[in-house]
Amino acid sequence: MSRRYLVRRLLQVIPTVLGIVLVGFALVHLAPGDPVLAVAGEHGDAAYYAFMRHRFGLDQPLPRQLVTFLGRVASGDLGFSWVQGRSTWALIGERIPATLLLGTASLLVALAVALPLGVAAARRPNSARDATIGAVALLLFSAPAFWLAQLLILGVSVGTGLFPVQGMSTAGSDLSGVPHVLDVARHLALPALALAAQELAVLVRLTRSGLIDELERDHIRTARAKGASERAVLLRHAFPRALLPVLTVLGARIGHLLAGAVVVEVVFGWPGAGRLLLTALETRDIPVLLGLFFIVSVTVVGANLATDLAHAAVDPRVQLD
Amino acid sequence: MRRHPAVRHLAGRLAATLLAAAAVSCAGDAGGADRAQARSIRGNVLVAAITSDPGHLNPAITTNGGVHTAADLLYDGLVSLGDDLVPRPALAARWAVEDGGARYRFTLRRGVTWHDGRPFTSADVKFSFDSVLLRFHSRARASLGPVLLRIDAPDDSTVVFQFRRPYAPLLAQLDVVEAPIVPRHRFAGSDPLRNPANLAPVGTGPFRFVSYAHGAELRYRANDAYFGGRPHLDGVVLRVIPDGSTQVAALQAGEVDWLFAVPGPERARLRRDPGVHLRQSSVSPGGSNCVTTIGFNLDRPLVRDLNVRRAIAMAIDPVQFVERVAFGNGRVATAPISSAIAFAHADRLAMPPFDTVRADRLLTAAGWLRTAGGTRVAHGVAGVRTGTPFVATFKVMSSMTPYGELLRAQLRRVGIDLRVIPLEPAVFAQSVFTARDFDLSIAPYCQGPDPQVGVQRMLVSSSIAPVPFSNMAGYRSRTMDSLFDRAGAALEVAERRRIYREIQELAVRDQPYVWLVETTNTHAYSARCSGFGVAAHFAAAASCAR
Repeated sequence: MSRRYLVRRLLQVIPTVLGIVLVGFALVHLAPGDPVLAVAGEHGDAAYYAFMRHRFGLDQPLPRQLVTFLGRVASGDLGFSWVQGRSTWALIGERIPATLLLGTASLLVALAVALPLGVAAARRPNSARDATIGAVALLLFSAPAFWLAQLLILGVSVGTGLFPVQGMSTAGSDLSGVPHVLDVARHLALPALALAAQELAVLVRLTRSGLIDELERDHIRTARAKGASERAVLLRHAFPRALLPVLTVLGARIGHLLAGAVVVEVVFGWPGAGRLLLTALETRDIPVLLGLFFIVSVTVVGANLATDLAHAAVDPRVQLD
Repeated sequence: MRRHPAVRHLAGRLAATLLAAAAVSCAGDAGGADRAQARSIRGNVLVAAITSDPGHLNPAITTNGGVHTAADLLYDGLVSLGDDLVPRPALAARWAVEDGGARYRFTLRRGVTWHDGRPFTSADVKFSFDSVLLRFHSRARASLGPVLLRIDAPDDSTVVFQFRRPYAPLLAQLDVVEAPIVPRHRFAGSDPLRNPANLAPVGTGPFRFVSYAHGAELRYRANDAYFGGRPHLDGVVLRVIPDGSTQVAALQAGEVDWLFAVPGPERARLRRDPGVHLRQSSVSPGGSNCVTTIGFNLDRPLVRDLNVRRAIAMAIDPVQFVERVAFGNGRVATAPISSAIAFAHADRLAMPPFDTVRADRLLTAAGWLRTAGGTRVAHGVAGVRTGTPFVATFKVMSSMTPYGELLRAQLRRVGIDLRVIPLEPAVFAQSVFTARDFDLSIAPYCQGPDPQVGVQRMLVSSSIAPVPFSNMAGYRSRTMDSLFDRAGAALEVAERRRIYREIQELAVRDQPYVWLVETTNTHAYSARCSGFGVAAHFAAAASCAR
């Protein structure tokens, strides 16, 4: 990978993040609904709302609010939550680990299930096995996360009692060490599965089609002519190359995963950043909303950048684009 | 065989995932046993589900229901209110009303200490009102601010409230929901909105704060030194579960013991569960004695005619709202003031009966004529161009959309077309109360413990303001204003009852609203627990079997 390519891609990140933050700021402020009415609660009088508006800086013209906000972001300050009166960084920082855990676990579940299924489907295209795997993938892709989550709660948690219904750990428990890890793992299983479903479906189909394309290429014919076993052809020669599009899509799906996490976190009572986003949206807690916009945009842009760099590292032709 | 790096990496990831899956499945196998074990460890600790993460635990700086649900167990007011709304001594041991109702002298309970061991004194009460409640608690500020002259603390155990004029409803506004008392020694000299004690609260209440895992749970333990006696429970865990259906599933699975509110459609499922008890209450920390009320925008020519408003009221079948929309959680409202405020509720009022034939006749007489298409059109209606179809804009909070759908169906029968516009709460508040851009709307007016708190704001002209849940209709009546002034200054219950009856008769006569359903909450709790009280200190006398 050339240095020029690396620097160019890194420099592109700055205007992208700035653009997203500006759009976020505009959306939040132009959206209908008065944040003061939402944050300060009912039953106030006009003087009370004016007082709160002044406290939040909402009595300033919008361009000045934007300048203040950008100045803060540049110095690493995301301000204070209007509802909770605490630093936005601290608030978001508390919630990010839970979302990361959920996101990573569901991504791993999706990969662990999707790749073998994709390979199995591609080995005999258009067979009964391929059709079955395709149908399951389609079903999972079409199932909305909230519906699947409710189904898992009713069918698995309440039905069998194998997994807990909600939360990240047992209520009021003081476990530590391995028992704590196991407790969290039990609580994680169903939310991760619910969130993984759609990713899994996408990855199965992508692995399958990538592998089928790859198996028809010249170098595979050469490998077979040289007497390589079918297993070696599939796993050593075709599979790694078929993974390239999977890798690309994986980076792009991070944003989608975060969006899905909002729904799954609400249904399972998972204490992550997705739920914080929803609450902040309902209460028009603008500093928290903008802070989350900023962090999520940096994450998504970062994930895409990492994908591009990984892609360039694996396939040298990419950096010539 | 040399492996491609991507495959090697993938194999590593797969192994890790399988390991995690195995761990999860092993743990899963033990799930049932764990659950029984967790219950026995939990013992006399109550796990209650709350819908939202409160964010902070200072009920004196907000009227937010989520904060009060979570934090009221830690604090007290000068008085406490039971289901009967009668004020009983709490931090105040007794009180005397002087100067014809313009002065209240409270004698505080002796020997009360804050959770950190410091003594509670009259300075805490004065500070709580002067520096916190009257600045940040919007209800205390709006109701007491204009009438309160000053608060004095002549000695450690006496507090005197001096009003500009006689003020009757004070005692109903001094419980932990309306006026929680916070410690001066923690808040003095700081910004109450950002004080660290908002997250590690020190109160006088029946439970003491232990920990707060944001977004997940709050833990409290019993206050051994509580002036009302140590709670039976050893502790309370408040578990944040935003989704109502998940809360019900968690109760049935034994993960939580108490739900503040059961979603209507889930009640039948819980009723069949022998491990769960249900209880109805009109009191909840978020607001009590709520009446779902349809408001007419009296600035709009469409509904300015009293006969049109009366016709609409007659076209509405409230029983259907109770059964189909509130799922039985409530009863038909029979007066503007909730029957839960027994001293003020007027019985046998001449409310418009459900009668579509009379509604039809009234609308035709008002100049709204039936057409072949079904929707009426104006013919000589003041302020409306002849030929204009009767299409009314109905703005509704998205959570109350089913009310809009049913209302549309009912009004359709008398030739009125309703355009139902669901809005999220923040947008609803702005659109209806600030911009006043609607013909009809609906809101759950929570009337609280006294009509001066929750009913006055929807009927007096001074409450026509860009403030949520104020005078939505824009109703102006000098008689009504002076009746509320008199009711606020009258000290005798009989006198107040008489004035509130007049108020309700006038309100029904002028019909700025249709009072539809007195909603109640269904609390659900595990059969292993019992002894729950009302709203704020619901767990103070509860206990759970081991």
